[in-house]
Amino acid sequence: MNSNNQKIIINIGDINDPKWKIGFKNKLKMLRSNNLEIDSENIDLSCKDISEIIEIVNQYDCKITGFCSSSPKTIVSSQSLGYKSQFSIENNSKNTSDANKKNLTFSKTHFHQGTVRSGEYLESPGNLLILGDVNPGAKVSAEGNIIIWGKLLGIAHAGTKGNSKATISALQLRPVQLRIAKKIARGPKEKPQLGHAEQAKIDSEEIIITPLLTTQFNS
Amino acid sequence: MATDTRVILICSGKGGVGKTTLTANLGISLARQGLTTAVLDADFGLRNLDLLLGLENRIVYTAQEVLEEECRLDQALVKHKQESNLSLLPAGNPRMLDWLKPDDMKRIVDMLKEQFNYVLIDCPAGVEDGFKNAMAASQEAIVVTNPEVSAVRDADRVIGLLNTNSIKPVQLVLNRVRPKMMANQEMLSINDVTDILALPLLGLVLEDEQIIVSTNRGEPLTLNSVNSPAAKCYLNIAKRLQGEDIPLIDPLKESSGFGAKFRRLMQTKIF
Ligand SMILES: Nc1ncnc2c1ncn2[C@@H]1O[C@H](COP(=O)(O)OP(=O)(O)OP(=O)(O)O)[C@@H](O)[C@H]1O
Ligand SMILES: [Mg+2]
Repeated sequence: MNSNNQKIIINIGDINDPKWKIGFKNKLKMLRSNNLEIDSENIDLSCKDISEIIEIVNQYDCKITGFCSSSPKTIVSSQSLGYKSQFSIENNSKNTSDANKKNLTFSKTHFHQGTVRSGEYLESPGNLLILGDVNPGAKVSAEGNIIIWGKLLGIAHAGTKGNSKATISALQLRPVQLRIAKKIARGPKEKPQLGHAEQAKIDSEEIIITPLLTTQFNS
Repeated sequence: MATDTRVILICSGKGGVGKTTLTANLGISLARQGLTTAVLDADFGLRNLDLLLGLENRIVYTAQEVLEEECRLDQALVKHKQESNLSLLPAGNPRMLDWLKPDDMKRIVDMLKEQFNYVLIDCPAGVEDGFKNAMAASQEAIVVTNPEVSAVRDADRVIGLLNTNSIKPVQLVLNRVRPKMMANQEMLSINDVTDILALPLLGLVLEDEQIIVSTNRGEPLTLNSVNSPAAKCYLNIAKRLQGEDIPLIDPLKESSGFGAKFRRLMQTKIF
């Protein structure tokens, strides 16, 4: 049996299938008393669905440590219920393990449409592209680059696994705090120039912000 | 029997921004338009909607007895003295919080839906169980906020939760607007707030000292002081809810001298 502190990623199956609960319960029966990360693949889960999953998991003395999914809706729902949530990138293999996640390069970009609001947290193992604002109190992070087609007013962390070449770009860069790899900077006090997208990157051990040139996206 | 009842959650995240005052005044205004309206006090911990409506001394039963099937719904509903289209369903005692579940709120609201055109739910502050229970029973929401950074931040959090729970539409009421402070950039501007929250603005409510007087008397402003600045704002909000196209209030007429500045403060940016 697995020891209690080992993390297991469990796939819930298709929630739209009327029999999903049975399949899910069968998986849980074998696992009893474990910390679980729930992988919901590309299925949209509402807060209600997630509450239902939590209830089932509790019946089997298991504990949910977090969720991963490629559905933004699921990520936001699980976030709002206070769980650590991570975007997974859809891949062909059903068996999403930490090992094959590591093999992914930054070439994959995760997409989020809509405002990221206070208290919400988006995390991507690749790049993160957000169409919308990141509000004060919200946090976004990516192992690769972060591009925000909107205003960055919250906290952003690019290069979470230490890639100091990672960048953070936004139409308006006015964050509370910026992080790239291990470097931390507070957002600029002065108002940004309107009409200029901006990019933050590390230049000689410091995070600097420069107007964004279109060619920078090609590299 | 009303068929297409609108169930509206009145919430804010931060406490003390004016949810209960809005619920009471909106209730009166809708009732006056001939719409049967129930206001449900979902703030079981710190109930005070009954107080604002001046109905405290007429409460016999509460939502609690209805749920426990100790009385019928119509026995618990308290009809307003002057506006007979308006009824209050009072909150039970604070210990209800220990056992109340989202499904209980749904049951109560389903009963109210059979009799009323509008059900307004006065939500407790915070994003914990009290809020979640109330949200579970609601279809749409009005988020109340003040032109202050902390109130806007909390409103944003609440909007995120409403969105993930498919509450639609979610509209914004900006309460305690002080034209003078806004013009002097001592307060967030209207644009600052709507920019961040990205919600349709259902209305502004001006800061109005008479609200305190009306609260103490248990007579919402919209009941007897319809010409006070805030009362007009509440009436407009009720009309917009009904789909009327009413332009945002012009504080020029309400607080003389700030008109020109007000137009400017719609554009000013401060942080
Ligand atoms: N437009 C206004 N002008 C002046 N005072 C106001 C206005 N709106 C609300 N107030 C005052 O603010 C205080 C809080 O209002 P209210 O009780 O409606 O807030 P609430 O959001 O329901 O609070 P809680 O979170 O505690 O339930 C009250 O004293 C009220 O009189
Ligand atoms: Mg209140």
